[in-house]
Order: sequence, then C-alpha cells, then structure tokens
Amino acid sequence: MFYKIKFLSLSVLLIAAMGLSNSIAQEVADIPREDTLHLGWSLTSPIGTTNPWLAGYTHQQGEALQWEPLSYFGIFTDKEIPWLADSMEYTKDDFTELVIKLNPMAKWSDGVSVTSRDVVFTFEGQKNIGTLPYNAAFNQFMESVEAVDDLTVKLTFNQPAPRFKFEVLTLKFDTGIPIVPAHVLEAVEEVSEFEGGADMPHSGPYSIVSWDVNQKVYDLREDWWAVEAGRIDTPDVKRVVYFNIGGQVGQGMDIVAQRVVNSELDSALDMRSSVIDNIIANNPKVTTHSGDQPPYGYLDWWPNSLWMNTQLAPYDDARVRRAMSLVINRGLINDFVYEGAEIATIYPFPLYPGLQAFVDSPAVKALEEELQPGLYDPDASAALMEEAGFTMNRDDLWEKDGETVDATILGFEGIHSDIVPILVEMLRNGGFDSDVSFVQDAYQQMGDGVAGLYMFGHGASLKDPYAALELYHSRFSAANGTSAGGNRFSRYINPEYDAILDEMAPLSDDDPRFQELAAEALGIYWSEQIDIPIIQWLHRIPYNQTNWTNWPTTANPAMGTNGAFWAHTGMLVITNLEAAE
Amino acid sequence: MSSVSLNQNLIKRPGRLVLLGRYLRRNPSLTIGLAIMLGLTIFTVYGLLTINPKDAYPLAVRPQQPPSWKYPLGTDFFGRDLYPAMVIGLWQTAIIGLFAGALGTIVGTVLGFLSAYFGGILDKTISTICQILIPIPAFLIHVIIAGAIDKRSVTILTMAFVVFMLAWMGPTLVIRAQVLTMKERQFVSVAKLSGMNSFGIIFREILPNLLPFIAAAFVNQVFQAVFASLYLSVVGLGPLREPLLGNTLWSAQSQAAFFNGWWWWPIGPTVALALILASLALINMGIDELANPRIRTSE
Amino acid sequence: MSLKYIGQRILYLFLVVWAASTITFFIPRLSSRNPVRERFAELARMGGFAPADLEKIIADYSRAFGLDKPLFQQYFDYLAGIARFDLGVSLNLYPKTVAMLLWESLPWTIGLLIVTTILAFVIGNLLGALSAWPQTPNWIRGFATSFVMLQGVPPVLLAILLIFFIGFKLKLAPLGGVYSIGTIPEFSLSFILNLLWHQMLPALALIFGSLGGWVLSMRGMGVTIQGEDYVTYAEHKGLGARTIFRDYYLRNALLPQVTGFALALGNVVVNAIVVESIFGLPGVGSVLFAAIRSNDFLVIYGIVLFITMGVATLMIIVELLYPLLDPRIKHT
Repeated sequence: MFYKIKFLSLSVLLIAAMGLSNSIAQEVADIPREDTLHLGWSLTSPIGTTNPWLAGYTHQQGEALQWEPLSYFGIFTDKEIPWLADSMEYTKDDFTELVIKLNPMAKWSDGVSVTSRDVVFTFEGQKNIGTLPYNAAFNQFMESVEAVDDLTVKLTFNQPAPRFKFEVLTLKFDTGIPIVPAHVLEAVEEVSEFEGGADMPHSGPYSIVSWDVNQKVYDLREDWWAVEAGRIDTPDVKRVVYFNIGGQVGQGMDIVAQRVVNSELDSALDMRSSVIDNIIANNPKVTTHSGDQPPYGYLDWWPNSLWMNTQLAPYDDARVRRAMSLVINRGLINDFVYEGAEIATIYPFPLYPGLQAFVDSPAVKALEEELQPGLYDPDASAALMEEAGFTMNRDDLWEKDGETVDATILGFEGIHSDIVPILVEMLRNGGFDSDVSFVQDAYQQMGDGVAGLYMFGHGASLKDPYAALELYHSRFSAANGTSAGGNRFSRYINPEYDAILDEMAPLSDDDPRFQELAAEALGIYWSEQIDIPIIQWLHRIPYNQTNWTNWPTTANPAMGTNGAFWAHTGMLVITNLEAAE
Repeated sequence: MSSVSLNQNLIKRPGRLVLLGRYLRRNPSLTIGLAIMLGLTIFTVYGLLTINPKDAYPLAVRPQQPPSWKYPLGTDFFGRDLYPAMVIGLWQTAIIGLFAGALGTIVGTVLGFLSAYFGGILDKTISTICQILIPIPAFLIHVIIAGAIDKRSVTILTMAFVVFMLAWMGPTLVIRAQVLTMKERQFVSVAKLSGMNSFGIIFREILPNLLPFIAAAFVNQVFQAVFASLYLSVVGLGPLREPLLGNTLWSAQSQAAFFNGWWWWPIGPTVALALILASLALINMGIDELANPRIRTSE
Repeated sequence: MSLKYIGQRILYLFLVVWAASTITFFIPRLSSRNPVRERFAELARMGGFAPADLEKIIADYSRAFGLDKPLFQQYFDYLAGIARFDLGVSLNLYPKTVAMLLWESLPWTIGLLIVTTILAFVIGNLLGALSAWPQTPNWIRGFATSFVMLQGVPPVLLAILLIFFIGFKLKLAPLGGVYSIGTIPEFSLSFILNLLWHQMLPALALIFGSLGGWVLSMRGMGVTIQGEDYVTYAEHKGLGARTIFRDYYLRNALLPQVTGFALALGNVVVNAIVVESIFGLPGVGSVLFAAIRSNDFLVIYGIVLFITMGVATLMIIVELLYPLLDPRIKHT
C-alpha cells in the first residue's frame, strides 16, 4: 500500500513536470523577496504573447511594463507626463494639426533608437488594420502622418480634433495607444497573428523571464532608456511577479485578501469595502488610496447607471424613468453597501479635477437645485406612475394593460453582486417588477436593447463632460432590432440635445461656450432621466507597505496616476515604489 | 395488569406500529435518516407557518447582524433575515428534490418496465440510449442546458426540470434489471399459466415486489437532484434572487463572509445541506437492507 | 475475447462520443448568446470602455470563427474537426486553442484527481468492507458511518471550510495555488515538496467528499456477499478470519466496484470544477468554470468531450480487463 502511494506521488511529479513544460523559462537570477513585488491578478493571455498588435492583446497582465506611449497622464494632478515624446502640440488654432517631438535618448531593448519611423508605423497601422482598437478613431480623424525628421512627426487631421491627443495618443487608465517597434513588426507578414515572444524588443523597463499558468515574472532591464534620459530614477523594484489568482472578481476574494494580510501579496485587484476594511484591521501595514479611512479607494472613470432602452415601452416615457429614479434611496445604498462612504451619485462621469470644477460651476449647481436628480420620494414616484396610466395591482406592482413593468436588472456577477440585489428590492418596494439577472450574455442583451434595466458604467469622460454626454447623441441611437454600440444603450433621440452636442464638438473645454452648452446638455440628461445614475465606481486597492512604500495616495499623489497596477499607468506606479526599511 | 395485556399482544400478533418500531430498531441507518428528515420537515413546516416571507429577501432587516434572539440565524450583508431565508431555502430545495426525483423515478420506472417486459427492439433502443448517455457527465450537460435557457425565466421548477432531464437513465437500468430477473421467477410463471394478462401481472405480481427498488431509486434521485441544484447555483445558473441554500452559500462565499467574520452566514446553509444529503444517504442505506432481505442483519 | 466483441465496444465508444458532441454542439446554439460579443464585453468591462468600432470587430471575429456559416455546416465542420482531434479555438481566450488549454491545465488536474480518486477508492472500499464484516469492532463501524455522513457535505463546502479553518485560522496549510508566489519552477527537492504541500488541502476536500460513496456501495456489496455459500463454506472449512476477509470476501465484493471506478472519475471532475476554482488551481476544472461563466462554448465542448471520452474509454478498458480479475467472466 505504501509502495503504491510512493508510486503515485512519483507520477504526480512527472505530471507536474509536464504541466510546467508549457512555459517560458530562462536562466533566472536569484532575486530576494525584498527586491520583488508580488501582485495578485487574473492571468489569461496565452503564454508567450507580448505583441501589442496581436488580436486579443490586453495590457493588463504585465504587458504595460513593456510598452510605452508618447505621453502619460496623471489624473489626480491633472497633468500630462511626457514620455517617449518630449512634446505634443496642436500647431493650428482649429485643432487640425499636431506636431510630436520625440526624446532623443529613447531606445528599444535591442539598442535601436525610437524614432519618428516607429511613430508613423504605429499610426498607419492603427489606420489600416481593422482589428486594432483605435482603427475607427484614426479613420475618422487622421488625414495624413509624416516624419519631418528622425525625431519630429506631423499629424494632420481632416476635421477639428481637440481631444485626439488626449483620448488616443496619451495613455491613462485603459485607453490610448503605445508605440510599437517598426523594425520588428515591418518584417512580420500578419501582425495580428504574431505572438511576439519573450524576447520581442520593447521600450519599457521590464522583460519577461518566466511564465507559466501560475505566474508571470518580469525582471528589470539595467539599460532602460528612461533612467539615462532623466525621466525617472533607477527603480527599486528589481522583479515583478504577477501571481494568477484565477477566476474573476469576487470569486476567491477571501483568499486573496488573506494573502495580502499575510504579506504574500503586496497589492491585488480592487476589493469590496467590507473586505478592505478587514484587511486593514488585520494588518495595519496595509493602506489604500485614502489611507486607512473610508472610502478606501479612488474614483475610477466608470460611474454606473441603470440604463434602459428609451425606445421601448414603458421606458419611452420619461415619467416612468423618473419614477424609477425616485424610488432609489441613495443614502441607503451608501449605508448598506459602502459603509457610509458617499458613493451613490447623480452624474454620468467621475468627479476628477476638471469635472469637479464643471459640476461646481453656478450653472450646474442651479440645475441641480431645480431638478433634484438625487431625490428619493416614493409618493412623487407613485404620482408620476399614475399620471403615466399605471395602476397598482394585487401584488403591489404597477400594471398597465395587464403588464407589470419588466424591471429585471441585467448586471455582472462579481462586480455587481453587492449593489444590484439592493436596487432590485428598492424597485420592488416602489412597485416595479424587478429581479436580478447575472446572465453571461448580459452585455449582448444590453446591446440588443431587451426590456429591462442594465447596470453598466460609462467610461467616457475624464477631463471634460463631452465624451459622457456624447453617449446620448442620436447618431449612436440605433433603431430597435439592431445592436447598440458600446455604452450607447439608451438609444435616446432628441434633436435639441444633438444640436447642443454638435456645437460642442469642435470647441476646446476651456472655451466658456463649451461649459455653457455642457450644462445645458446635463440639464436635459437629468430632466429627461436618460438613464438613472447610481454609483461612482471606486477602485479599492490594498497597498501593503511591509515591503514597498511610496504608493500613490491622496496624501502622496506622486506622479498623479491612479494606483491600479494593471492600468497603462501601472508602470509608473511600480517604478516609483521605494523599498521599505 | 400489564402482564396480562402483554400476553394478549403476544397471542394476537404485534400491531403494525410495533412491527415497524422493531424493524426500525434493527435498521439504525433508516431510523437516523428518517429522524433527521422528520426534524428538517418539522423545522420547515413550522417555519413556513410562522415567518414573514418578505424577511427572506434583501433590505428587510438590519444587515450583518450575528445570531441573537431577534435573528436566530443572524442577518446577511444584504439585510436578509437568515432564519426565514433558511426556511424558504429548505422548502425550495425540497421542491426541486422531490419534483426532479419523482419525475426521474416515474419516467425511469415506466421505461425500465416497458423495456424489460416487452423486450425486442424497444428494449434494445431504450437500453442502448441509456448506456450511451450514462458515461456523459450529467452535470456538464446540466450546465450547458441551464446556460442556454433564458435566465429571466429560470425558476425553481425549471431548475428541477433541467436536473430531471438527465436523471432517468439510472432508474431505467435498475428497474429493467429487476424486472428481467422477476420475469424468470416462479410467481410470474404461475400467474402467466393461470391466464393473468400482462397488466395484471405487472400491477399485481411484479410491481409490489419492485416497490423497495423504486423507493431506493427515488431516494437516490432526490439525493442527486439536491446535489445538482447546489452545483447549479454555485456556478451561477439558478434563480438568483431566491434564497436557495446553494445561492445563500455562494453569495456568502463571494462576499468573503468568512474573511469578514460573518461566519453565521455560510454555516447555516452548510449544515442544512449536510443534514439533507446525509439523511438521504442514510435512508438509502436503510432501504437497501429492506430491498434485499438477504442482507438484513440479524438482531 | 473475440474480435467481434472488441469491435462492438469500439463502436460503442464512437456512439458515446458522437452523442456527447451532438448534445454539446446543439444545446448552446439554441440560445441567442454570442460568445464573440461577450468576449468584447469582458474586455470592455475590465478596461471600463468599449472601442467605438466594436460592431465591426465583432463581425470580423465572427467570420474568422466561422460563426456566420449555416448551423449544420458548422456542425459537420465540428465533427470533422473532432475526427482530426482538432477541438477549435477558445473564443474567450483567443488565440488560445482548446487543445492548448487542455494541454496546459490537464497535468494539474490529472495529478490531483488520480491521487485523490485512488486514495478515496482504496480507503472507502476498505472501510465499507469492514463496516459490513461481522467481526469488525464497533468503533471502526462508527468511523465508517461517519464518512457516510460526510458524503452529505459536498466537496465545495469542504473546500471552503478547510481553507478557512486550516489555512486562515490555524495557518497550517497554504492558501491555494500550486506553489509559493515568486518561486521559480525548477527540478529540485524543495520545489517538489512545495508542489506537494500545496496539493494537500484540495486533495483532502476531494477525498472526504467522495469517500462516503465508496463506503456506502461497498458496504451493500459486502453484506450481500456474506450470505453467499462460498463464504459460509470457507468458514466451515475453518479458514482464518483474515484469510476469509481478504480472499473470499474483499476480492469478490471489490469486482463490481471496479466498474464504478471509471464512472466515478466523471463525477470527480464535477467536484474538481469547484474545488479547483476555490483553491485557485490552474486545472481543467478552473478552465471549465471560467468557460461556463463566459459561454466559451468551444472550450466547454472540448472539455465535455474529453471527459466523456476518458470515462467511456476507461469503462471499456475495465470491462476488457474484467476476465483477468474474475475468471468466471468471458467476453464473447
């Protein structure tokens, strides 16, 4: 019997060896724990894929440590952080020409310089290759791109593009494009199928040295150009380990939390309020963006609303939409789900400095006073429903022509499983026939515009409200039966609203007329209740200070980037960390 | 006086209850299993009569409260009172188990009967289909079916139906095998010779002898159904708003209940599920002894 | 053992695989879900944005995956693919292929499952046999029955409880994963011990969860065999209790259990789905769990087919080996 067990454990080892044979492993130096950063994240990309133009590429699993942009943006300092480019300037008043000057020291990891040839190659590729994410933007705006000399690129637009530099050419959160090496990808026949591999030349500070299904290990390159160019000091973090926590957000969260408490992980994905509260209670060395105080995090750019298809009865009636909003008790949401922190919101955009200034303007304040977008008033709600022709049936649900209001909320398990059940009960108590539905094809159903409510974020505006407000432009309001594009679930049609947005498009956000029009559009958003804003989205990321300090926080904004190591700006977070004593 | 009545009893033949009592004493697994089941039933029925069902849904009570006199099983993150949630969860689990179990057993018994009794092509077809389907892991097919149906119409009953769809093969094969052996037994031959028709033979001679096997198959089906429904809710394919035991457990898990110190939240459904499944396993063990008189252990 | 018999069994194997592939192909297609779109929804959700030309990209991908062809053509292409052992690509983790996913995850699962299934089989059957044996001391019987009660605790619950009490509270075992974070895999004793150490709790959850079933069925079998004439005969011959237990009783009772073994592997995989996910192990179970949640149907098919094939093949192998274990049986 014991022989059998021995035999068994031996075969397990052989099998495990097989498991590890699917991996990238080189001669790896010994680097002590105190020089290593341990991050908990879900790893899904195929082993060996590093090429940013590969179909299915994500920057979130360590790739951001390899690929750099012309420029980063520090959201909390509201400042541009020049990177491969020393400068990017609009050279015409109507925003139709942009000149980019590159840093002369910038180099790929194989020693080749980063030149205007790489920038032109990157832009033209985005324009010509259909699977790249900014294909549409380049086709819409770019007239031509030209290398003036080795370090200067001139970009000409076919229409005013005041936001192109920020939205497309700058990396922040999860948007924008990195620059790719022309001398590598030119030689490749089908770039969208080229894996890249561990040794693909890159400009970023870390290279991959070991990769299997359990973890990815990145080591610092001693010859990183940015140190030489004086952009940054030599990073303290010599090695970064992305540990695969598997699955999706919410699942197995207790284990990840416990690992952070044990200092096995230095940081991990964002967590729920109650969990982070207990992490801090169990290990005082762990802090968050807001220190050890609620809300334990920073604003993500993804405020969530209850969206609905405004072309579909009964949601085509603004009174019904408003009546639903009136039974949402935002104070109770804060108490139940967020430990009292003020997360519930009335805006479709996050209150970053630029947007905070906008909502603090007298025009918006007056509108807020007048329209009361956050009001909780079940009686007023009932009055509106009666006005809209509904009657209360025997189950205490609103009914018209024998039909209750289908207020099933489509959402996503994991990220929404704390808030949606609460909303369902609020709506039910208000007489709307509500239920939870975390179907896997929720997004599909939102796009198809099925009856019901959709919990989803905006992810549009960062500096000014234009991008968020544009989501309700009728240009994107596909007819029922066709698919609504990303985040354009409302299918809202209002010529008056469109006119305001069209007038805003070519204006820069510091134009007073722009601000005036934006307030007007926000007024329509509220009075028409195009969607029901519910919560700001918070990233509550634990920062364990046992091994590493100088995480970006409210008190110490560092370069002003958000602390998400998985975002494009995660490279800046990691390279700015300092070894703890 | 007591000795007199005892004597009379001895002479008369013991009453049915007494016999049952004696049998149960010889068959402890059946006894314990039935006792647990009875306890759960009483808990659920008493609960259903006394609770306010609204308390089993979110926002009903103060959230995150440990067990107390007011909330005997505590309350969860969403403001559900966990005692009514447990009562309703048990009730819903019972519905799924009984519905899927009964349906699977009935279909299985009928098919097994037809197959074995009439033989020929019918038998070949039915038994081949069963044998082809049996190696396919039922749960995976459940997942595929449950994932494909429109989730907004998923109710307790659809869930039970999904479980049933792959639950009839087991009983079919068991009953078929039993009927095949019984066909060869003497009492059936005698009945045939005495001119009884097929239906008479089936209902008067074979069915009564099959009852223990049908009962065992039924208990086994209920067990499988409860298990399957737990897993379906764990992978997120059940009706989410309902306080099904599996749903309560998984929502506790996904809110990191243990880590947050809300131990009472997952413990309730864990204990309840363990009791249900264990009592079914014990009853099944007991019925096995009933079904095979040869293996009755002597007193 | 005739050739005809073997031919029949191989035909049966084909039928099982065909049935499984047909069921798994058609059921998900009956729903309106579009995994390509869901894949982009996932990206949109994680990144918090959706690229403006989402629709165009989705159409491109659907064409690339052949999703725009008629259903029956897709079906025949699929069957032809299976015949070539080509299970297609993952829609959600594109450009990973299903075969790649299986190849990556299978070793972790096989290691865990084989050890736990065999251990549960051995211990469960021994306990089951003992609990039905009249000479067994009462405490062993009680012990065995308590495992029957444990059968009522599905491995998913056991996994959650074990990791909380033993991992969190007592800190006696690692918190999931395959090896310690940051360890660079290599062939050394310390790394191997590290691997085994991490397999302990998941193995316990799976063993405890399936032990009861074996105890239960073996006990039933054991009680039946005790009544058999050959056991009585052996007793009258005056053979020692130990010999009777081993050679007459255990051996005969074990035979039918062996058939159950192949079928049990199929069930164990179901338990593994959740146990692996809870412990964060990169096995087939975790891959399947993720595929179920993202409706990555090519991956679901691939894994269901693979498991079905494995179970059916094992069943046939067991059946073919049966005459070796039991000389009374001959396949004709």
